[in-house]
Formats: sequence, C-alpha cells, structure tokens
Amino acid sequence: MSHLSSASRVNSVLLFGLLSIVMLVPRSVQAQKNSPDIPVVSNVVAIQGARIVQAPGRVIESGTIVFRDGVIESVGRRVDIPYDAQIIDGDSLTVYAGLIDVLSNVAVPAPASPTQRGPGQQQQATNRAFPTFERAGITPEKDVRPLLDPSDKSVEAHRNLGFTTVVTVPHGRMLPGTASIALLSGSDAAAMVVQGEQPVVFEYQGARGVYPGTPMAMMSKFRQLFREADRRMKVQAMYDDDPTGMTLPPYDAVHGTFGSIINRDKRVFAFTRDALEVHRTLSLQSELGFDLVLTGLSGGFDTVDKVAAADAGVALTLNVPDKPEWAAEVGKDSLDQILAAFDEETRTATFRDVEAERRNLEAKQLQSRARYVSMPAQYADAGVSFAFTSYGMEAKDVTSSVREYVGAGLSRDDMLAAFTTHAADLLGLSGFMGSLDEGKMANLVVTNGDLFAEKTKVRYVFVDGSKYEIASAKGGNGPNGRRGR
Amino acid sequence: MAALLFVAIQLNAQNVVIRNATVLTVTQGTLENTDVLITGGVISEIGSGLRAPRGTEEVDGTDKFLMPGIIDAHSHIALSSINEGSSPVTAEVSMEDVVNPYHIGIYRALAGGVTTSHTMHGSANVIGGQNETIKHRWGTTDPDDVRFRGAPRTIKFALGENPTRNHGRRASNASGAIVPATRMGVEQVLRAHFENGQRYMTAWDAYNAEAATNPRAVPPVYNDRLEVMADILRGEILVHCHSYRADEILMLTRVLGDYGVHNITFQHANEAFKVAPELAEFGAHASVFADWWSYKFEVYYSTAYNAAILTRNGVVTSVNSDSGELNRHLYHEAAKSQRYGNLSDTEALSLVTINPAIQLGIQDRVGSIEIGKDGDVVLFDSHPLSVYAIPELTFVDGVKYFDRFEDPDDVRLQISPSASIGAYEGQITGRDRVHDHTEVVNFFDLFSDIDFDIDSDNR
Repeated sequence: MSHLSSASRVNSVLLFGLLSIVMLVPRSVQAQKNSPDIPVVSNVVAIQGARIVQAPGRVIESGTIVFRDGVIESVGRRVDIPYDAQIIDGDSLTVYAGLIDVLSNVAVPAPASPTQRGPGQQQQATNRAFPTFERAGITPEKDVRPLLDPSDKSVEAHRNLGFTTVVTVPHGRMLPGTASIALLSGSDAAAMVVQGEQPVVFEYQGARGVYPGTPMAMMSKFRQLFREADRRMKVQAMYDDDPTGMTLPPYDAVHGTFGSIINRDKRVFAFTRDALEVHRTLSLQSELGFDLVLTGLSGGFDTVDKVAAADAGVALTLNVPDKPEWAAEVGKDSLDQILAAFDEETRTATFRDVEAERRNLEAKQLQSRARYVSMPAQYADAGVSFAFTSYGMEAKDVTSSVREYVGAGLSRDDMLAAFTTHAADLLGLSGFMGSLDEGKMANLVVTNGDLFAEKTKVRYVFVDGSKYEIASAKGGNGPNGRRGR
Repeated sequence: MAALLFVAIQLNAQNVVIRNATVLTVTQGTLENTDVLITGGVISEIGSGLRAPRGTEEVDGTDKFLMPGIIDAHSHIALSSINEGSSPVTAEVSMEDVVNPYHIGIYRALAGGVTTSHTMHGSANVIGGQNETIKHRWGTTDPDDVRFRGAPRTIKFALGENPTRNHGRRASNASGAIVPATRMGVEQVLRAHFENGQRYMTAWDAYNAEAATNPRAVPPVYNDRLEVMADILRGEILVHCHSYRADEILMLTRVLGDYGVHNITFQHANEAFKVAPELAEFGAHASVFADWWSYKFEVYYSTAYNAAILTRNGVVTSVNSDSGELNRHLYHEAAKSQRYGNLSDTEALSLVTINPAIQLGIQDRVGSIEIGKDGDVVLFDSHPLSVYAIPELTFVDGVKYFDRFEDPDDVRLQISPSASIGAYEGQITGRDRVHDHTEVVNFFDLFSDIDFDIDSDNR
C-alpha cells in the first residue's frame, strides 16, 4: 500500500509540475490583464500536524492533508509535503470537511420588499382571483444561478461558520424558484455554481392578497399545476409524434417546470415550518407522486415515525425557537427547579392560586421548547439520515442551535454527518464532497478545537482550495461565537 | 417523553359497557335501566345484564342519561385556515387539507358531548371550499386520525351579504370590486359556474368516450375548480349553503333544481321558516341557530320558532354552533328550540344527533344509539334537555376522550415554546371571535398592506 502510494506520488508530483507550468502562464497573464488581484503564489496547501476528522468517526489524531488546485492530494499520518506547498502549522488545529447547507437563500441578494407600494403601482389593478404567476409567487422556473452574487454579505456570514457549499434558491413565496448547488467562493455567479441537482423549492407562503393565499389554496394550486402539466406533457408527446391536425399544445415555463417534476428530472425541496405542513406535504406526494426532500420540519418531533417511513430525503432546520422572555432572566438551576416541580395532573382553580398555575405553565413551556431542541436527536435515534438547512433563519443563530442540539443528546458524529456526509449523500455529491479523502474537492473548515464545542473558533475555511482566513478579532463569527441574544 | 407530557393517545377502539343508564336512543325510544355494550368501537349490544368480554371497561350509568354523541353540522374548529377569500369561487380548496388536530377546540367540544364536527370553509365566497367531517379523537397529532372515514364530501356555498361585501363592495380603487355586488350577482356566479361545470363534464365525458377508440384524442384542459363543480352535478358532493333570507333560499333551490342537484342543506337559514313547505317539497334540509340573530342587517327577521316550524313542516332540521363556544352547549340549544316550539324530547334531541347526521350523510354510522352504529356516546348526569345537564363522559369509537372527573387544567397538545405566559390569558375562546383564533391563517390579514375595509368574521 505504502509502496504503491509513494510511487504514484512521484508520478503525480511530476504530472502536476508539468501541468502547473502549462497552466500558470495564461492564468497569470489573465490575472494581470483583468484584475488588480495579486496572483496566487501557489495552489498547493499543506496543513501539517493537525487533528484531521476525515468523516464522522474517522479521525487522524495528528496528520497532514495536502490539496492542490482544489483537490485533496493526500491525507494521512505521514504525508510528504510537496516542495511548492504553502504550509500551515496544524498544531492545535482540527480539520473537518466543509459544511453543507441543504437549503438556503445564501448569495442571493434580497429583493426590495414586494409589499412596498411604489408610485404608480396604486393604479395597477390586480386581478385577485386570477393573478399572474409572478404576483401569485409561483415562479418555479426562476433559475437562481444568474442571481448569485459572491459579494453578498450572506456568503461571508455562512463561510465564517464553516460552510463551503450551499443549496440556494431565489427569495419568493409558494414556488420561489429553481435552486442550485453553489460554492461559497468564486469571483462571479458562474464560478460559484456546482453543476448538479437543481431542485424546485416549494413552501407554504401564500401570495399577499391574491389567490392562493391560504395553505388549502396553495395545496389546490400545486395539484392543479401538477395535473395540468401532466396533461400537457401527454399532448405534447402526441404532437411530437405526429402534429398533423393538432392545435399547437400550450406551453409556459411554470407548467414546463412541473413537467420536470413529473418525469422526476427535478426533485421538490419542500420547506415545512411545522408538523402539519409535514403531513400536508407527504399527502401531496402520495397523491401525485414526485421525488421529495422534506426540509425544515420545525415541530417535526411529532412526525418522526411518519417521516422515517416516508420516501423522502430529510433536512432539519437549524432554527430553534426563541426562549420565552421570562426564561431569559432565570438561571439554569432555577429552570431545572421549575421543571422538577411540574405537575401534569394539576387542577388549580385560577382564582385560588394564580402563581401555581403560572409556574406550571412555565414548566410546560420549558418542556415544549425541549422537544424542539431534541428533535434532531429523535430523528437520529429513529435511524433517519438527515442533513441540515438554514432556510428562513439568520446565519448568526446557527451556532447557538448547534450547541443546543448537541446538549439535547445529538451525538457529535451525527451532527457532523448531517453537515457533511449525509448532506453530500442527499445531494448526490458524495463522489467529491462530504469527507476528507484523496481526490475529493478541497472544501475544509479548520478550527482550534472540536467544531461543536463551547469556545471553538473557526480559523480557516477552504473552498475549492481557496483559503479564507477567519478574522479572530471578530470572535463572534465562529460556529461557537457569542449568541446574539 | 412526549407521552409523559401530554394526554395519552388512545386511537385504538376499545371495549366499554355503560350499565343501568337511561338510554336516549333517539331513533328507538327511551330505554330505562339499560346497558349499552361497545366492542371494537361499535355498539354491539343493548339490553339489561349484558355479559361483557374480559377487559371491557365498566361504567356505572345509574341515574344517568346516555345519548348519542352530539353532531355539530356547522363548525370552524380544528382548521388552519377558513376562508380563501381571493375569488368568489374556490370550489377546489378543501378543509380536508388543513385539518389541525392540535386545536384545543376539539377537546372543548368533547366537554360539551360533541363527538363529530362538520368543519367548514367560511362564507367569504359564493362557492367556498369543500368541508371536512371529523371525529373528536383528541390526542393525536396526525390529521388523518381525526377524519370521519367514509363521510361523504360536502361543499360550502354562501349567499347574501358576506360574498357581496367581500367581492362586490371592496374599495373601488386598487383592489377593484368584482361580481357579485348584489344578490342578483350571486345567482349569476352560481349559474355561470354550474354551466361551466356542466360543459367541463361534457367535454371530459366526450374525451373519455373518444379515447376508448382514438389514441389521438386530446384531453381537455384540466381544471380542478370545475372538476368539483362537475362532482356536485354528479351528486357526489352535498351542498351546505350559508343563507339567511327567504328569497335567496328559494333562489338557490331554483338554481339547483335547474341543474338537477338535490343534496342541499341551508345553513343558518334564519328566514327558512317562511318557506318551510317549499323546502320540504324540494327535499332541502336546514341547519339553524336556536335563538341567535341581529348580528347584521340580513339577520334581523328571525324567530326562535324556526327549528320547530321547519320540523313540523317535515324539513330535516338541525341546530348547529358555528362557534367554538356555542358547540359546548348544543344540548341547551336543542332545549331552547323545544321550549319555544313544543317539540318532543326526541324531536329536540334529533336536532343535534340524527338530523345533522342525515345532513352530513353519516346517518348509517352515527346519530343514534343502535346496534351496529359507532360507539360515539355521551353520559350526562341528568336529562340532556334539562338546564342543569352536565356531560360527564364522552366516548368516540368506544374510547373515552373526555372525563369530567379526570380533567387536568391544561390538556393542550401544543404549547408555544416562545410566547409570553401572558399571551395565553388573552386567548380568544368566545363565539364572536372564534374565526380569529391565533392558530388560524386569516386570509384577510394577508391584505394588511392593501387598503380596504373588511370584516373577517364571515358568519
């Protein structure tokens, strides 16, 4: 084994040396021509003597990882460091595979609020019953890729947490658009794109003031679009076969996109905010038949069995409900006391003992919140393989949620798997992402300790081999930085 | 952990025998000192000294009154949204999709002896959404577990002030008023959609016939709204129509008659007494309030004799709640109709049991205490038509879901992890604001940035 690898290393060094001579010339010329950026001196990085977590449960306590041109060249206890490598001293550092966010709006600039009424808009009559697709929030064909902006603040905020890859979708409502896999690096929109799955996102966000406004109407509209798209596909197939005597079949981008869902070219990433939306989405799926990834699932502690039995991918929310205001002012010991004093069977007439009733309500509220926090642990216990999503929340809240999930019994390996291997599996990226193995993409997060521990800070993030040093002065940016509240 | 926190979920039908009670069967008279045995969720024996299988729960009904579970023919509990108010016709939407088993209204209804509710779309639209009939199996969080399996499909229509105000009287600037603005317009919306539904049905029937021999037959455009209109025309959906005035009630019977639709229950129908013989002749049913009116102009001409007059004229009549508060004393409402109109006990009890069951098409399953019917029963401490009556135990499918003697302070299935404790103090439970329950998506809130004035409480 070692014999073989040392031989191949010689070859690869030679090969890469040749390649870099060939490629360096046009690259540096281009850099001088088109941008004021200083060309990268070396595309080879070695992190030496670090703790390397290749994948959940696969740890090298002290080893070296080398990557070149965005690809991991070698990783192991003893690895020869190429002469041209930039060396990072990994002493006291831990290296993980870059984290993956399975659904987000990262890198997509938020549009101006659509609810603001501009001058002139007043005169524009809206047909409430039959609004345009745009007005109804039904734009599943809207491709996120041209909208990506690497300078959008969300890119850096996410990267600072250790994310290197996201699935991202345009801002919108019921069917905001077609998502894409994107790297959190690159000089322009095109450079961020990872070619791969482009799912359609669906969520229960009604159109404001027009049809469909309510969850029931959104479900009806989804069925209508699906079934009519199905019919159109059949008619189009007949027309393609022989158009003689047939009227030209109708086409529009919305039904066209539903066609891709029907023939399973595209999956539906459905964002659910509570258990009822999980049930509703699963009934749409069983009724119509499409490939589904359930995302969000806040309150999904009530749907563990149903989701475990369902034919759907799962990405749980990183959003944990806020603590009630009263609890923020109470110490942990006192909170535990309140919980211990809880009486399920209490029957206190309010007029007799308001205080007892209030205490009991507080305890129930703590128990309720504990269920939200323990949800990922429950899915892990049920054997559901899940990823994570930050959809609908702010990046700054991710850290505290992660800490709470671990505190509620989610193992660190399960947590890491959700962020890396499971996410890569879910998105079909396992061939080149999700773990630190030779030949995979150099997406890394380098920390000064256990990624999910209390005081750990992210030191570097590498995206496709590009280095981002995380300013330690900010402190609050690491995955365990200060809580916002 | 969840099981410790909340009321145990009892979804499996159980065996129970209620002994020595006064049994108000509603359809087969009153039986003194009688046992009722429920096995596997179904009433299996009625008699005295019944032998119950091992493990059957024993309930002593001595000096107590057992009646069929009360059926509320008009309710808006346990729903995540009520009105899709964007269009005068939204036949395709269905309350089936937005059942909310977490809603505390289910437990409150059980406390009033109500075992089945007809949960309805609101009255914002001429043709609103399809409704859902549920059983009050409190404790489950899966919407499928509260459905009344096998209950026929029903749909909400609405006449009069609500749809004309919501669509025809909107601020005439940006949002634009549309048909219907008047009762005439309401009729035209109905006729237009029946007409379109008929054409749609014809087009699909023609296609299906042609497709049998011609592989190149082109299917017509799919339209889920007209699918539902066609199903109404085929008699597969029962119509429940929000209505008040006699003229509009007659109008709808004529429209339905023209399209061969005869499954109609007029909801509210405060002036139905004026046209009771016409309703009986048409075969229409009525679901009314005992004595509730004058909350808007079209509801001033009303009488507490409405239910009695309709009953005497042979109209199948029920008394409903339309409220998460009133549904807890529907037996009192039935008693009021009896008090005013001299109905017999059986006639009065029928108003909240077998008659609403007929109107919902579930009379073979519930609405009376008969062998073979579902084990949905309520045990009262005194005669349910007495003003002193209190429901003590409520069973659905033989499972006890309410017990007045084991009734903790807080049985909610869902508690906000973040809200301030004070937020619960203001929780709205009364009849007037029931549509505005915080857990319900209020369609009209979606218009908050659009200036028009609208009453969201579309009763």
